[in-house]
Amino acid sequence: MNINATFFAELLAFCIFVFITYRYIWPSMENLLEDRRKEISDGLEAASQSQRKLEEANKESATILDGAKVEASSLINQANSRADQIVDEAKEQAAEEAKKIKLSAEADIEQSANKAKDGLRDEVAALVIAGAQKILDKEINAKANKDIIDSLIKKI
Amino acid sequence: MAKENAQNLIETSDYIGHHLVNLTFGWCEKTSSWGFANHQQELFKGLDSACKVSEMGFWSFHLDTIFMSILLGAVVFGFFGLVNRAAKKGVPSKLQNFAEFVHEFIASAVNSGYHGTSKIVGPLAFASCLWIISWNLMDLLPVEMASFFGHFGGGFNYFKILPTADLNAPLALAIVVMVLVTYYSVKTHGAGGFLKELFVVPLGPLEFISYVSKHVALALRLYGNLFAGEMIFILIAIMFGQFAMSFSQTLWFLPGLILNLSWALFHILIVALQAYIFMMLTIAYLNLASTKH
Repeated sequence: MNINATFFAELLAFCIFVFITYRYIWPSMENLLEDRRKEISDGLEAASQSQRKLEEANKESATILDGAKVEASSLINQANSRADQIVDEAKEQAAEEAKKIKLSAEADIEQSANKAKDGLRDEVAALVIAGAQKILDKEINAKANKDIIDSLIKKI
Repeated sequence: MAKENAQNLIETSDYIGHHLVNLTFGWCEKTSSWGFANHQQELFKGLDSACKVSEMGFWSFHLDTIFMSILLGAVVFGFFGLVNRAAKKGVPSKLQNFAEFVHEFIASAVNSGYHGTSKIVGPLAFASCLWIISWNLMDLLPVEMASFFGHFGGGFNYFKILPTADLNAPLALAIVVMVLVTYYSVKTHGAGGFLKELFVVPLGPLEFISYVSKHVALALRLYGNLFAGEMIFILIAIMFGQFAMSFSQTLWFLPGLILNLSWALFHILIVALQAYIFMMLTIAYLNLASTKH
């Protein structure tokens, strides 16, 4: 153990190394770590913010969905009632139509009944005339007796 | 037998002595010239002086200590400087991660221990801690290695690779701390206040003695621990030496191996611990100096 001029060399070397650390190593590392710390805290902040945004968006989408559901159900109700209405209208129309058809059918029937009556009357008249001709067996002018027969026919 | 033992004793003390002598370059009174201590090296023939190490005075340099400490400093601070230069803000590389871990460790020690405003304390703690660790790690290299390579590779018969085991190096660090402590004490308390604190309150000059001794102790603690560790490595190495000398000493090989391994493992703790203690005390002393109390 002997102290000698080596001491001064070590002193100088230590001062130089401390200076190098002071000038080039320590501050740049501090800055780097500080920057990184800030970046990370910013990132975490942004993450929590976007988490919040996500929650908000979820809520919003839920409300929109609920609204849509309500709207859809009201639309369905509307559609249902409209359909009922249409069906009712159709029924009404059909009933009316049926009535009309029935009426025209009844008219037809009446007309054809009348026709048939007329035909029958004519035929009966002819038969009556023929019967009368045969009965009388005389020369009865058909024309002269027509008035009597017509009045007969009308009574039928 | 007695003669042989005496011979062994001389060889052993020579061996220890050899490992405790630094490669010295200094002023030789006898010849009034600069040169390496006698027979320490064979590389520079013209620079071999007539003086032995013990005959050289204050004006001599331990070239091995200076070389090793500056080399280690260049490696350590070069590493951190380069990593810092390549550092990026995003995802750090593994080396950067390591550098940041070391920095954070020291920075947290400084932040928790130092409450002043000085900007030099962080770098000082960083530089002293890492430099001392790099020195101390040299103690884990086999004791014989440096001598071996020094001798056969460089022509140096003496070469100590452990700067901490040379009191000059720890003392230089401690003196820098002492100068800074004095500076900040004067800055905080004023020259009068500082002197008053040293010589008047509360126990008079005792305070001054404690002031000086705590800084000397800072150096001696580090030096003593590592010197003792180195000494034990040397003593363990002697066992292997015994083994090489005679076959009957073969028995020493296994205990030597076990001892060396266990002491090396334990020494890892001392390597880091002493550097840590030095750093923490530096921070504590500077904190005391730069805060009012």
